[in-house]
Amino acid sequence: MNPYVLSILLMGLGLGTTVTFASSHWLLAWMGLEMNTLAILPLMAQHHHPRAVEATTKYFLIQSAAAATILFASSTNAWLSGQWDIQHITHPLPTVMITLALSLKLGLAPLHAWLPEVIQGLDLTTGLILSTWQKLAPFALLVQIFPDTPLLITSLGLISMVAGGWGGLNHTQLRKILAYSSVAHLGWMMVVMQFSTSLTALALLMYVIMTASAFLTFKLLKSTSMNNLAMSWAKAPSITALMPLVLLSLGGLPPLSGFLPKWLIIQELTKQELGLVATFAALSALLSLFFYLRMCYCLTFTSSPNNLVGTTPWRLETKQVSLPLAISTSLSILLLPISPAVLSLTLPLF
Amino acid sequence: MTLTHYAFSSSYFMSFLGLIFYRKHLLSALLCLEAMMLILFISLCLWGLILASTVFSAGPMILLAFSACEASAGLALLVAMARTHGTDRLKNLSLLQC
Repeated sequence: MNPYVLSILLMGLGLGTTVTFASSHWLLAWMGLEMNTLAILPLMAQHHHPRAVEATTKYFLIQSAAAATILFASSTNAWLSGQWDIQHITHPLPTVMITLALSLKLGLAPLHAWLPEVIQGLDLTTGLILSTWQKLAPFALLVQIFPDTPLLITSLGLISMVAGGWGGLNHTQLRKILAYSSVAHLGWMMVVMQFSTSLTALALLMYVIMTASAFLTFKLLKSTSMNNLAMSWAKAPSITALMPLVLLSLGGLPPLSGFLPKWLIIQELTKQELGLVATFAALSALLSLFFYLRMCYCLTFTSSPNNLVGTTPWRLETKQVSLPLAISTSLSILLLPISPAVLSLTLPLF
Repeated sequence: MTLTHYAFSSSYFMSFLGLIFYRKHLLSALLCLEAMMLILFISLCLWGLILASTVFSAGPMILLAFSACEASAGLALLVAMARTHGTDRLKNLSLLQC
């Protein structure tokens, strides 16, 4: 792609999210969401492949329908109460409509069916942008409206966790598995949102770091399915040794930093005397852990039959910039020891 | 809820249901999206008129500009889909299901 066009599109992406972050008026927030959608469409369709075009079409239909519903709900709120402010949304009907529309935009569970298919049609860089940066603007809106419908929010979160774990079990395509893992992580963020938004932000930050390292590693290994993972020891041995730790961190195992948000969320739910929800959340993490473990198995314990020449691609130097991968991988493995600092920083906000 | 509010809300829901349930051609989905945006335009215009607020008078024009951009992006996708899939039937969008 032409670098001028690419830079304009990337700046459009940044501007859309920034406008949504900075706005207090629903029309401006909607403008930011639309700019986000319109800026990523050419990035998604840049390879003129039928799968890319199909993914772009699906993404466009879903996102524009959800954005129109958000604006319709906020104009309904304006007709009912005369207010366009994001924080002053009080009537239950627009609140529920906006919550559902934002969860369609994010890909939360009953409305998540588009997400795996769209990510499957893209290359790994655009998939990375779609599953990290594009989640920020809708999530900022969702945190700001502070929905006082605990039943809807909690059930969306719980269904997301289970659907994310369950959906990923049967897949061998890495991008689809990562999409389902995104659904499951968003469920964790939703469940704790009504009690502590700072924990939601922490979980979102950890999710972004871990997903970035997973996508960048798969890009380095040029692998998009489970079969290719078995060859990764020959492509980049050191990153193959670290990748299982990143995957287990996505799954949330204790010595790794993915455990940090899960730990704090379960603690918060237990403090609110929601033991049943906490138990359900912890058990549904096992479903996700299964497919992360299967990816680890393919990475480390299997090797495909090969001739001698095929085992030496590690001699070739990669052209990918390695600094983002190094930073995100080390953060997604080693962040748990600073959890007391995180706690003491965010404790006044709880 | 006034009569005007009821009128455009129900027409919005009609076009939204059309987007959801009529899944034959991409063009009809784009038309439903465009109808939703036009109903939002009517809603914003009438809100400004009824409350006589001059502050919000730029709102409907912004909405119209963005919906025009969105419609053109949709038509570009229609062309791209006709070039890659050979048709605009939504049933053909099944490569990614696997």
